[in-house]
Amino acid sequence: MLRLTDIVGNAADPDIADRLHDIDHDGGVERVRLSRSDLARRRQRLVTDRGTEFALLLDRSASLENGSVLLLEAGRAVLVVLEQPQWLVLRAAHVAGALEIGYFAGNMHWKVRFENDCIWIAQEGPRDTYLKRVAHLLARGDAVVLDTSDALAGGVRHLHVPHAH
Amino acid sequence: MTAQMDARAAPRGAARVGIGGPVGSGKTALLEQLIPRFIARGTDIAVITNDLVTDEDAERVRRTGLIAPERVLAVETGACPHTAIREDPTLNLAAADELDRRYPGLELILVESGGDNLASSFSLDLVDYWLFVIDVAGGDDIPRKRGLGVVQCDLLVINKTDLAPHVRVDLARMVREADEVRAGRATLLTNCASGDGVDAVVERIAREVLFDH
Repeated sequence: MLRLTDIVGNAADPDIADRLHDIDHDGGVERVRLSRSDLARRRQRLVTDRGTEFALLLDRSASLENGSVLLLEAGRAVLVVLEQPQWLVLRAAHVAGALEIGYFAGNMHWKVRFENDCIWIAQEGPRDTYLKRVAHLLARGDAVVLDTSDALAGGVRHLHVPHAH
Repeated sequence: MTAQMDARAAPRGAARVGIGGPVGSGKTALLEQLIPRFIARGTDIAVITNDLVTDEDAERVRRTGLIAPERVLAVETGACPHTAIREDPTLNLAAADELDRRYPGLELILVESGGDNLASSFSLDLVDYWLFVIDVAGGDDIPRKRGLGVVQCDLLVINKTDLAPHVRVDLARMVREADEVRAGRATLLTNCASGDGVDAVVERIAREVLFDH
């Protein structure tokens, strides 16, 4: 298996963007979709959207991010794309409910963000697992689950290679 | 072939693999089964153990004679063991860095957590891959309790499979329920008293982080 050992740069870097653009025109850009937690791994087996397998071996000080370029050579590039998390969105019915949800989410070590008066819980496993954990809050009416639009709920966020013409 | 992509490129520093799980599930026993197998396959290894306020597990591993004693470092967490592998893994990071400096050809560091509860997990700042060890004698309801460690680990190891009939555990159901909560992540069965099933654990670790085949 071929080994990738360096982060060449980011797709947003102007000089790299130009080269990626040309390679993409010829169909040479392969994308690796990673979850946010997998971005933290310096050493892992990667499979691109074309099924190519690579061994990633980065320095401990290296940090993957959305748009990291792992390979850039004539006619071929490998690009990291952050797979956006799926969210469970809860709105508290009252202040006491909000306090309890916040305490509970922290106690569970869940990754959250706050937006539009709601708590957004990043699902790092089946949605049903999270719903069962908050079942008591939902049953008491302390919180309700909100639907999110596809745009907000995520799915894969595609990183576009800049295209000037 | 570029410098970025080379089938022979040397890894920088050893792969770091965490072994977590509840008290008494068989983490140290698994370690004792893994060490000779990795040495036999030619992997240059070292070990870090975590204990509350002693170096009991490190001493146990050193006394086995399976590995040079100086290749086994002990971290005393002084508090809940999960804090040293997740919230603030500084002590373990320093120990791993020290092993990397001391042994330039080191390929694999096994980091054993202190015994904790089902909610313990490893920071990916500390390890590249982590195992969570549970055992059938702890009850076959453990997977469906959806503890963080069981759900999120890269490899779930169900140990002491030989005890299943003696503690009235339906092993097949335990595995099925583990699969249901783990969203496709791997589960393997071991009996670390005899070594049954441990070869598959070695193969899995080698495949995921050593890349030497």
